[in-house]
Formats: sequence, structure tokens, C-alpha cells
Amino acid sequence: MTHVLFVAFKLLLQRKRQTFVSVLGVSIGVSAFIVMSSLMLGFQNYFIQQVIDLEPHIKIKPREESQQVEANAVLLGEKPKEKDRILGWQDIVREVEKHPEVLGVAPRLVSRGILKYGVKDKPVTLLGIDPQREPKASIIEKFLVHKNLHRLETNRTGVIIGVLVAKSLGIKELGKKLLLVAPNGQTLLVTVEDFFESGITNIDDTRVYINIKTLQSLLDKQGEVNEIVLKIKDVNRAERISRELQESIPYEVESWQRAYKNFLSIFKIQNIITYMIVFAILTVSAFGIFNIIMMTVLEKKRDIAILMAMGFLRRDILLIFMVEGFVIGILGAIIGSLLGFGLQEYLESIRLDVEGLVRTKGFVLDRSPIFYVYALVFSLFFSLLASLYPSYRASRLNPVDIFRSQ
Amino acid sequence: MRIIELRGVKKSIGQEQILKGIDLEIYSGEFVAIIGASGSGKSSMLYIMGLLDRPTEGEVLFEGQVVDFSDEKKLSEIRNKKIGFVFQFHYLLPEFTLLENVMLPAIKMGMERKQAEERAYELLRALGLGGKERRRIFQISGGEMQRVAIARALMNKPSVILADEPTGNLDSKNTQAVMEIFKEVNSQGTTIVMVTHELELAEQAHRIIDVRDGVILS
Repeated sequence: MTHVLFVAFKLLLQRKRQTFVSVLGVSIGVSAFIVMSSLMLGFQNYFIQQVIDLEPHIKIKPREESQQVEANAVLLGEKPKEKDRILGWQDIVREVEKHPEVLGVAPRLVSRGILKYGVKDKPVTLLGIDPQREPKASIIEKFLVHKNLHRLETNRTGVIIGVLVAKSLGIKELGKKLLLVAPNGQTLLVTVEDFFESGITNIDDTRVYINIKTLQSLLDKQGEVNEIVLKIKDVNRAERISRELQESIPYEVESWQRAYKNFLSIFKIQNIITYMIVFAILTVSAFGIFNIIMMTVLEKKRDIAILMAMGFLRRDILLIFMVEGFVIGILGAIIGSLLGFGLQEYLESIRLDVEGLVRTKGFVLDRSPIFYVYALVFSLFFSLLASLYPSYRASRLNPVDIFRSQ
Repeated sequence: MRIIELRGVKKSIGQEQILKGIDLEIYSGEFVAIIGASGSGKSSMLYIMGLLDRPTEGEVLFEGQVVDFSDEKKLSEIRNKKIGFVFQFHYLLPEFTLLENVMLPAIKMGMERKQAEERAYELLRALGLGGKERRRIFQISGGEMQRVAIARALMNKPSVILADEPTGNLDSKNTQAVMEIFKEVNSQGTTIVMVTHELELAEQAHRIIDVRDGVILS
């Protein structure tokens, strides 16, 4: 093997420009893979983590049925039959609490509403919560700017509003009085007791927490709830547990995965697109390696012939060029990883407001070392694959044909 | 002792028969010149003797053993250890220094690098290339290149040197220098088989084999 390495390294080192171009191609592919994966998965994991922390792992709610309203019912001024409440919710809560996987259960009353502050108004989602039970079913306090969840208990007209709701209304301080307009036309003067910031734009821009009893009386739905939320031990088992619970509960039991299935599907598509781009980059660099090794083989036919004449086996010739591909792959992986690491560091150091599906101060990266392992495996695979055919061609050359042609 | 023996060797390329039944014996320590016009089949004969090409028909014996052309490993081993090649074109690797070019057969044989370097230095000095060991081929003359190629052929102390028009690209001064080297090497016991179309050079060998249209005339 020494003779193979001796020739292979000599060819690599003496053909610096070609080696450099090949290594650069692989490095770009590897660094793109590392940075894109860490950015994409960082963002996705951040979103999922925020959802898991803030949102219930499992939610029990009335089934979404299309309300068939008879034409004359409207004409007669009758209200469509309401199906947005959970009957016997106390029994369901008691039952669900017995499940060994369930850590906490809390009832909620959810409704739409409008907040008015001065001349500004903002449509919002009102979440009537029990301030004592809610922390057992979600990590709401983690997202509160002033950790004032208990104020909803002491001040029944207190509200906690999303930071983007506050921004829309121009509220910067606690204690501001707002007018809350319920769907039934009832109004209530409420006080801002805290802000919450989940980082998920859609939530921060619409959500308002209020004491469940206050909301019940405002909506004239005393004692009613339309959501029961659960926190479980293992979030990854939410779907399975929700199916188990569904068997004994006559309402819809929805896991967080199902509730956010649209987002999770988008993430899957996003992952496919990203990996296709990275695959394309690596394929291009593989073609670069292929071209360079093929060119080397064609240029070095005479050298291959004399190596064979001096006793090199066909296998040795194959290995010489495969080693070239392997070294290019390894060097590309190392340089690409360093480049990727540097880019990750740089991206993490940038402080800017990223606003989209999630809002963060800077880029959220997943710095998992597994990306480096994948990058190494992919670059080696592509490099070896690219060098396989030219190496095989080199090993099949007939030295006599080459000597004769001179 | 017969070092190479061809028995009824025929070689065809496509429809054309290049060698038409060659019987030839090369003895150890001989300096043999194979002469013939271009296309007479002399180079083809040399490639078969060097185990680079297989005959279409007939047998090749190397050091008394029938050569099995299907055993690539054995053929490579014989070429590496027992045969040295010198061609009209030097076939030196441009990425390597003169020293490294000469060392290559020894590295392939498994010789320690240091030992190979010492032997290569010794050969290059003996062939008048002392002090130029670290140069590349584009830094030396054509005659010097051919001397490096001879040094490479001698590296593993082969039993036989097979030379195909080794002076074809050289001027008369370098041609004679190469011939002197061959004679010197031969005098130390290495068999030389040289293909040439120049009778003047062939006459410096012990024996001349005249090949015409794929058969040996004398």
C-alpha cells in the first residue's frame, strides 16, 4: 500500500490547483450542508420547543362540526345551536388526571374579542385561564416578561397580552387600562398586568390571557369551558396518548402534533427542499472531482502504463485514484466543517430582529455535532463515488496500447 | 541458463498477424539486439518477453517456468523484480523528482524508503547525474532523461533489461553514452535485450536477431 500512497499523494500535492479546486467544491458543499441544516433545524426545533412549552401537549375541545343553520332559523331570529362547550368538564378533568402519563390538566374558555386602547383596536384571541391550574398544564410563566401570572388571581379584570398585541396598541407599560369587547357586545375595562413573549409571531400577535371566571361572566357562560388542556411527561407520545384518551372522551382529543400538523408538514417540505439544494451542491462538487480525476487519468495514461510495466497491479492503479478521491473528500470535509463552524459562529454572533413565523434576536442554530458526522459521510460518499469510474477506467488501461501509440 | 524463451509465439491484433510463430531463447548474461524495419513485429516480441502482452498462441518461459498470463499478480511481481524496461520515450513521471522516479520500482517492491533513496542516489551518481537528484524532468536534457529511465530500470537489480528503441530520440553522443551504459550493465551480468532499427547499434550486441514480417530471419 505504501507505493499506492506514495504515488497518490505525490499526484495530489504536485497538482495543487486541481486538488485545491476539488477540495474547495467539497468544502462548499459540506459547509452549506452544516450551516443550512443547523439554521433550518435550529429554527424548526425552536418553534417546536416554544409550541411544546407554551401550548398544551394535548387539548380536549368540542368537535368541529359544520353548523347547519336552517334558513328560517335566521329569519325567525333563532340562534344556531351552540356546540362550543364541554359538558361535564369537571368529570373529564378528574378522569384525565388519573392517567399515569398526565402531569397536569387545566380548563380554559377561549373566545374572540377586540381590545381597544384610545383610538386603536385589535382583534384578539381571549384565553380564559385558571391562574392556579394553568401552570400545571403549560409553561406559561416562562414566557411572561414580569412573571405576574398571579395577578390574574388577585385582579379579576387583569389581562396578560402578547408583546405584539401591546405593540399594535402602543402599550409599553403595565397598568394601562383597555376596553375589552366580547363577541356578544359586552364590554369590560381591563388592566394590563403583564406581557408575554413566546417568539411565535402568530401567538404573540393575537393572544390575551384573562381569568376564566371573568371571561365566563363577560360572555355570560358561567361555569362553561370549551377547552381542557393537558401536559404530559413525554411530548413525543402525545399522539398516542391522545388516541387512548379519545376512546373514553366524547370530545375531540387533539395532540400538539395534530394541532400543528400544517407547520410540521411545511417543515418536512422545507427539509426536503433544503436537502435537495445541498444534494445538488454536493453533486456539482462530485462532478468536479469526477472531471478532475478523469482528466488526470487521460493526461497520465503514459505514466499509468509505465507504472504497470514496473509492476503496479491494476488494483494499485485503481487505488491510487480512489485514494485521491478519498483524500479530496476528507480534506473537503475538514475544511468544509471548519468553514461551517466559522459561519455558525458568525451567524450566532449577529444580533438582528428576525421576524417571520418566529421572532428572535438573531439566528437560532442547532449546533448538533451530528451534522459534522453526516457531512463527513456525505462528502466521502460523493468523493469516492465520483472517483470510482475514472479510477476503474485507469485500472483497465492496456499499457501495450499506450506504448504502441507513442 | 535460458532466461527468456518463446515457443511458437504468435500474436494477432484484429485480423492482422504481427508475430507468426516465434521460437527464441535468450540466455542469461547475453546482450541481444533485435533489429527489423518498422512494423516487423520486434516491439510486439519485446512486450511479450516483458510479460506486458500475452501471445495469441504459443508459450513464454521465464527463467525456465512457463508463464501463466492469467495470473496478474505473478506477472506484476516478475516485471517488478526481474525485468527492467527502457523505452524510446523516457516515461518519467513529471510530478516526481529524478530520485523519486528512480525509487518507484523499489517502493513497489516494498523496499524501505531510506534504503531505496540510497540505492537511487548511487545509481544516479553512477550514471553521471549526481547533484541533480532533486530536479524534475523538465530541468534536465533528453539524454539525461534517458539515463534516469535506465537508472529506474536498474533499481531492483533485474535479471534482464528490455529496451525498446532506447536511443531513438537521442543525438549520436547521447546514443553512444546509453550504449556504453548498457555494455557496462551487461558486463556486470544483467541480460540486455534491445530493439533497434539501427544496425550500427545492433552490432555492439553479442547477438543480432533479425525480424521481418513477424518471423525471425536469423
